Amino acid sequence: MSRNSLVFGFGLAVALLAGWVAFPRALYVKQHQPVEFRHKTHAEKSGLTDCAQCHAFRDDGEFAGLPANDTCAGCHSDRMGTSPAEATLVDRYIKPGQQTPWLVYSRQPANVWFSHSVHMRQAGLTCADCHGGYGESDQVRLYELNRISGYSRDIWGHSMSRLWRAPGDGMKMSDCEDCHRRRKVEVGCLGCHQ
Amino acid sequence: MKVTRRDLFVWGAGAAAGLVFTPVPWKLLDDVSIWSQNWPWIPQPTRGPIEFKHTFCSLCPQRCGLKVKLAGGWPVGVAGVRANPMTRGALCPLAFGAHQLNWHPQRLRTVRHKGSTASWGEARATFAKACSEGPVAVIDGQPGRATSSILASFAERRKGSYLVALSPETRALLPYESWSGVPASSLGYDLGNAGTIVSFGAPLLDGWGIPGRFTRLWAERAAGMNDPQLRLIQIEDSFSHTAARAWRWIHVRAGSDSALAAGLAQVLIEEHLVPAGGPVPSLVLSDAAAQTGLSENSIRELARTMLDQAPVLAIASDENPGVAALNVVLGAIGSRGGIVCRSKHAEKYVPFDDAIRKARTVLIDSSVPWDFQPQIDAEIFRFAAWDIGSSKSDWLLPAPGFLEDLTDVPTPPTSAVEIFAVAQRLVTPAIDVESAAQFLGSIDSSLPSPEKIIHQRCADLFHQRAGIVYEREPTPVAKFESVQKLEAELWKGAMWVGDPSSLGGLRCELKEWPTAAVAKPSQNWATEWNAPVLPPLATKLFRESSLREAPDRRIA
Repeated sequence: MSRNSLVFGFGLAVALLAGWVAFPRALYVKQHQPVEFRHKTHAEKSGLTDCAQCHAFRDDGEFAGLPANDTCAGCHSDRMGTSPAEATLVDRYIKPGQQTPWLVYSRQPANVWFSHSVHMRQAGLTCADCHGGYGESDQVRLYELNRISGYSRDIWGHSMSRLWRAPGDGMKMSDCEDCHRRRKVEVGCLGCHQ
Repeated sequence: MKVTRRDLFVWGAGAAAGLVFTPVPWKLLDDVSIWSQNWPWIPQPTRGPIEFKHTFCSLCPQRCGLKVKLAGGWPVGVAGVRANPMTRGALCPLAFGAHQLNWHPQRLRTVRHKGSTASWGEARATFAKACSEGPVAVIDGQPGRATSSILASFAERRKGSYLVALSPETRALLPYESWSGVPASSLGYDLGNAGTIVSFGAPLLDGWGIPGRFTRLWAERAAGMNDPQLRLIQIEDSFSHTAARAWRWIHVRAGSDSALAAGLAQVLIEEHLVPAGGPVPSLVLSDAAAQTGLSENSIRELARTMLDQAPVLAIASDENPGVAALNVVLGAIGSRGGIVCRSKHAEKYVPFDDAIRKARTVLIDSSVPWDFQPQIDAEIFRFAAWDIGSSKSDWLLPAPGFLEDLTDVPTPPTSAVEIFAVAQRLVTPAIDVESAAQFLGSIDSSLPSPEKIIHQRCADLFHQRAGIVYEREPTPVAKFESVQKLEAELWKGAMWVGDPSSLGGLRCELKEWPTAAVAKPSQNWATEWNAPVLPPLATKLFRESSLREAPDRRIA
């Protein structure tokens, strides 16, 4: 093998290593949620088995998103147990009357309009179809913030190549388009970018 | 081993080739494009609880009902209100993107005096001094509001003039005012019961009247039907958006509307298609045909076609006594599906007269269309939310923009019934703005506030015990227990609708056919635009929709 081939191959290998290993680590910064919330614990101990019990639809059909602290305060107006997470929730947010600044994995840019109501009530999708089995997880995931775009890694998906992804991994426009194409539901530009 | 310059190039080539097979270029391209959406100078909606509030559009005097989506108290979306009895959920395309208008680059952000930046204090002092030196004229574009009362009160106290810049829809009703004695401000069109509408250039599907009202009516009774329940015959010199969607488009020469109206009346009377006794036009049919460019047979056929589906109503695009006289011949005055009188208590609008020429100072409210530019020597103080350019005003004063001001909603010019509503202030202005009412209130502190006038109007409605309040469900006013409850409903976005118009109370005494007005080029905001002030998304909607067309893009 010639010297040139070796040097070229070395450059190629360094770039591949940097692109597939170092780049993702440098691009995303891991952040902890303000409170270590456990979906599974709440489901088992409080009987909250349906996502909509906290992530509710309002009377007008609009999705209310994350519950406000008033909902949490229904049980946690004062400490019930000894967990540090609950102490943080009660002392730092509920008692001072501040909303918990949750880091939302699925937050989209402001120019995206998405109706949970249409997708769940008309199309019959479940929460897990897009958000995965997160509602059954026993610990809250680290939030991976994209240093450039400012959005969560969940938008691009956890596979850097976006190949061979698990269902529900990725929330980019092409993911919406793929799903709509599979289900033969046509939506124009103004369907989402109103 | 010695590393040569050649090795570095070869290594670089290998690295470059390798990078193509990594996510780096594609991911960077994607992330940078998203990053570019979030530059600091690009306004971003506040994050916070989502809520919906009902209010009314302030872009034109017609005030369609709006459902505004707010995130963290900031409007992020606009939709129609299905429960609104006038528009039933329909809006013009501009209203859908109107919450972005406050961020438009042409937003007037500071007080300007002859093109230079000035302060509110300077404007106030200059205006007060000018008012003390001579007569003041106050010009209103949307009469009947609480703000209008304040403007009129100020003018009256200073022994000045309160004048109204009439919309083309109102000007089209002026002939009936002079023939019947009923003020044009209390006349309207009973569009819902009309079988055929003959529009003489009125942009009915292009922002005319209450845009949502006619759009909804059109969608329900005409759109896509070969034999529509509502026939729209558009008589126009160009293939406008309304002409394109009309049941029939009659292409006539520009400025020949009066001649065609006279020709149609001739045929109707000659062939005994209408009861005798009305005014007879002096213009013979051959002359009408020559002026319009139509054949005599075409005019005869059009007259017969009009009557196939009664009631027939003719609508002019502006003041046109000939078209109004055609309605008299058709029996469309004070009848079902015609011109109706919705109220006996309305005031007559004061027409422009010499008062404005004698004025030392002119104050123009932000409701006056931008293209209204008085050609006088007086010092002009103009309130405006957007600076569309070419202003001849001495002072430009930044006014509240979309949803930035509290106002009541009086009956729009074309409505067949009386309405009243309150458009609450949903947005806190990001810049230092004042409405004309606030400005005058700061000069004369004895003027009432809009809140006080609105409260009084709600009390008057309650004590009349008439009409229905439409929120989610219609509730008769008589069922409200107190003024406070009625007022609370109205502040939440409900609309009061008065009792249906009485059909017998309007008669036009017209013995002779009116002389044809000299055709003048259209100078109204509905058809002539200097430059549309629209945010990027609304501009896209504007181009892709039938919002309003620039005259130079029309196909003759």
